[in-house]
Amino acid sequence: MSWRFWQPPLTREVDEELEFHLEMRVRELVSEGMTPEEARAEARRRLGDLRAMRRRLLHLGKERNRTMNRTEWLSELRQDVSYGFRTLARNPGFTAIALLTLGIGIGATTAIFSAVNAVVLRPLAVPDVDRVMLVSELYEGRPADVSIGNLVDWQAANREQPMFTGLGAINWRNYALAGDPPERVLGAQVTAEYFSVMGVAPELGRVFGPAEDQPGGARVVVLAHRLWQRRFGSDPSVIDRVILLSAQPHTVIGVMPASFDFTAGTEELWIPAAFTPEQRAQHDEHYLTVYGRLRPGVTREASQSMLIAAQRVLNERYRNENGSRLVDVQPMMQQFVGNAREQLFLILGAVVLVLLIACANVANLLLARGAARARELAIRASIGAGRARIVRQLLSESLALAGSAAVLGVAVAWVVIRTLVAAAPPGVPRLELARVDPATLGFALALALGSTLLFGLAPALRTARTDLQSVLRTGQIRQAGSRRDWLRQGLVSAEVALALILMVGAALLVRTAVHLQRLDPGFDPKGLVSARIALPAESYPTPESARLAFETVLQHLTVSPGVKRAALSTQVPMGPGGGSNGLVPEGKTPGPESAVDARMRLVSPGYVGTMGLRLKSGRDLAPEDRAGTPRVMLVNETLARLLFPGLDPLGKRVLCCEGSATDPRWKTIVGVVGDTRSGGPDQPAVAEFFMPLAQSPDAAWGWINRTLSVVARADGDPLALAPAMRESLRRVDPSLPLYRVETMEALLTNALSPSRFRTALLGSLAVIGLLLALVGIYGVVSYLVTRRRTEIGVRMALGASGRDVLKLVVGQGLRPVLVGTAVGVVGAVAASRLLAAWLRGVSPNDPLTLGAAVVALVAVAALASFVPARRATRVDALEAIKAE
Amino acid sequence: MPGPETDLLQGTLDALILKTLSWGARHGYAIGRWLEETSADTIKVEEGSLYPALYRMEKKGWIEADWGMSELGRRAKFYTLTATGRARLRAEVAAWQRLSGAVGRILEA
Repeated sequence: MSWRFWQPPLTREVDEELEFHLEMRVRELVSEGMTPEEARAEARRRLGDLRAMRRRLLHLGKERNRTMNRTEWLSELRQDVSYGFRTLARNPGFTAIALLTLGIGIGATTAIFSAVNAVVLRPLAVPDVDRVMLVSELYEGRPADVSIGNLVDWQAANREQPMFTGLGAINWRNYALAGDPPERVLGAQVTAEYFSVMGVAPELGRVFGPAEDQPGGARVVVLAHRLWQRRFGSDPSVIDRVILLSAQPHTVIGVMPASFDFTAGTEELWIPAAFTPEQRAQHDEHYLTVYGRLRPGVTREASQSMLIAAQRVLNERYRNENGSRLVDVQPMMQQFVGNAREQLFLILGAVVLVLLIACANVANLLLARGAARARELAIRASIGAGRARIVRQLLSESLALAGSAAVLGVAVAWVVIRTLVAAAPPGVPRLELARVDPATLGFALALALGSTLLFGLAPALRTARTDLQSVLRTGQIRQAGSRRDWLRQGLVSAEVALALILMVGAALLVRTAVHLQRLDPGFDPKGLVSARIALPAESYPTPESARLAFETVLQHLTVSPGVKRAALSTQVPMGPGGGSNGLVPEGKTPGPESAVDARMRLVSPGYVGTMGLRLKSGRDLAPEDRAGTPRVMLVNETLARLLFPGLDPLGKRVLCCEGSATDPRWKTIVGVVGDTRSGGPDQPAVAEFFMPLAQSPDAAWGWINRTLSVVARADGDPLALAPAMRESLRRVDPSLPLYRVETMEALLTNALSPSRFRTALLGSLAVIGLLLALVGIYGVVSYLVTRRRTEIGVRMALGASGRDVLKLVVGQGLRPVLVGTAVGVVGAVAASRLLAAWLRGVSPNDPLTLGAAVVALVAVAALASFVPARRATRVDALEAIKAE
Repeated sequence: MPGPETDLLQGTLDALILKTLSWGARHGYAIGRWLEETSADTIKVEEGSLYPALYRMEKKGWIEADWGMSELGRRAKFYTLTATGRARLRAEVAAWQRLSGAVGRILEA
């Protein structure tokens, strides 16, 4: 007998071998003439210290056994796994379905996980990023930007009660970067503390210090890695070079590392804020974004109460400017990721549902196969394979399956990530960083392994527990059948429930999309194109010079060929820019309580006509509404209702934007225009008013950073007007870039793209989920038909018609579907509430949508069970009975 | 203990054992006897080092052991060469020939 199978305990092995040696030697020595006693002593002497040798051999033997066990275990595993692969290859149909099911499940989950990882989980390249706080003013319960005066006073409070290592501010601005072609670059004015709060060192050169962050300090600029790469070819000698930013020379002193480019759309250069003493004293204009780094041991709450206490004092001191502001302190990460977080987690949830359906499906497939393979396993058991070995073999099969599925899943994930990044709406921060990275791969492998255990172990244990004797005798599994059916039907019910939840969610989003597509935007987008022009304050210091420049551009454009109409506006619908102001209607005491907040548009005469806004009453703005003539404005219907409820607003006067108690500067409402959905078709209309640019207060040019949109309407393709727009600008100032040239139709489409993206994503997930569930239903009904062949045969022999059999089988197949549907309806009503924020024109538990999804699901489920049921009607009664 | 001398000795002993087993399965005592007879006068093989060497080589997978009946009808542990062991023997022989050839040329020069 080979000792591989019969392995004596090590001590016995060593003792027996040494004993054998001594015996043989004694026999030899005795034959040479020694007495047995002498021979025994001599034999021992020759072998040396017997005890030491025994200890040595035991030690070596133990090591040897360990090595051999490992080798054996590995070779058995290799056997099992290769057997597993061969089994998979022998059942191509099963394997294909199982692999596809799992591969898609794992792939989709991995892809979405990569996205979540990139956007939410991976921290910014800021050391101890969770100590960096976004500090905002809390105005009427909502976080708002900070005035310079408040920042200065907070810094003073922080010096008295140090909570932050520093408070740094950033204010984004656009710059015209000279060169060929001139380029518009998003940059930021930051205070010297900004870089130390972020705690990121420059890659090249240095960042600026407090001395440069002073009015009259050196004009310096720090470049982002991206800009350095794009415009300066990553040339290290860029340091100390002087570049022209909005016509002002700036010396490059540093380049920040690539990791400091948090997203594709962030600022590309930093300039000292250098607040003037006047700015530092003003508390009225709130436009700074402030970050602070908490000192070690200081909690967010403590820092917040300190700042709130300081702010209460400020509110007393600057009552008009501050009102009753509080202070909000939130982790920077939270603000950064924003609501993309919810969106991605919701999608991740949907994907996990798909993965669960996939796992349930494969579990069902494996269960069915376990039943079919009962005889094979019984034979294996009878020739001596232990239960552990059988379980392990089945597990290895699942492992082989899950391993292949993981490989397939990673491939699927790669494709899905690519598609996701390409199809995602702009503005999801850092999504472009999503790729199949090691963490994600680990996630996929964990999923594969988890799925293996989930769907591999349960069927394996079940199979191993069956009564092998009876299986061998009858070739079929007798007992455990009813429990097995229960499990299989339960799995189908679960699949159906999960699929229904997905379907209802998707259907709600589809209905929202249809609703949005049909909405009237309030203007006529056909043939409209808009673009932005920003005048540098340095070249156009006075309001007159800026006004003249814009008016000249508009004059050139109006007479350009192909242009039907053209106009200027601070903001076009869905476009950048804008601002809002409080309006006090005539007859009310001026004050914060009587003011109505509305979006302000400063426009050229003809804006209403160019955009195709509907003039509801009164007149349009005219060229005659200039400085010196009575001040006028247009309001939209929403604002008219808010200002003068139930009254005709025409001819009424309002206070706004400028003036004082002695010089109120009343503006007369001369016309009412229809509402537009300026924030996008999925946003409700807001209150808006339109004032002539020619009558706008001088300070307004500062509010809008001397930046306007120019819009033009063409007869044909609106983009064909872009060269004319460029030329009109070039004739006024060749150094200025024309940017954000967009057609209104494109803006409308883009505004809907987040909603379209969600709809497409959830829609495809729902379709995948439904398909997987159908595969599951089909599998279970097929299995039922196989199991009940004899019974069906008997029934048919006793006169049952094909119709009866069909009804019986389909009825049986639909039972778990109906159970699943009932559970799914409850789940869907609960889960759809999470979608509420994205729904328009349909309520989360819209009965019509729910009903339609249920009907659709039950109908396709009936179809899926009908196909195998038809097979049952073709059972030859006699043959089926004989086969038993 | 590792060291140039013991390494050489141990390596030599290993090679000799592999050679012994290349003609077929043997138990430990037979291996020892054969080593005594063929190299009695030139190389003195310590009997005490034989079994540790066998266990070590078994662990390395060069030889395998099976329990069987000895010529005298007693249970004994028989060692045989594995494929790895055979390859090892070929390598040892080649190395030895290179070494002895080189040393021979130097000494005869």
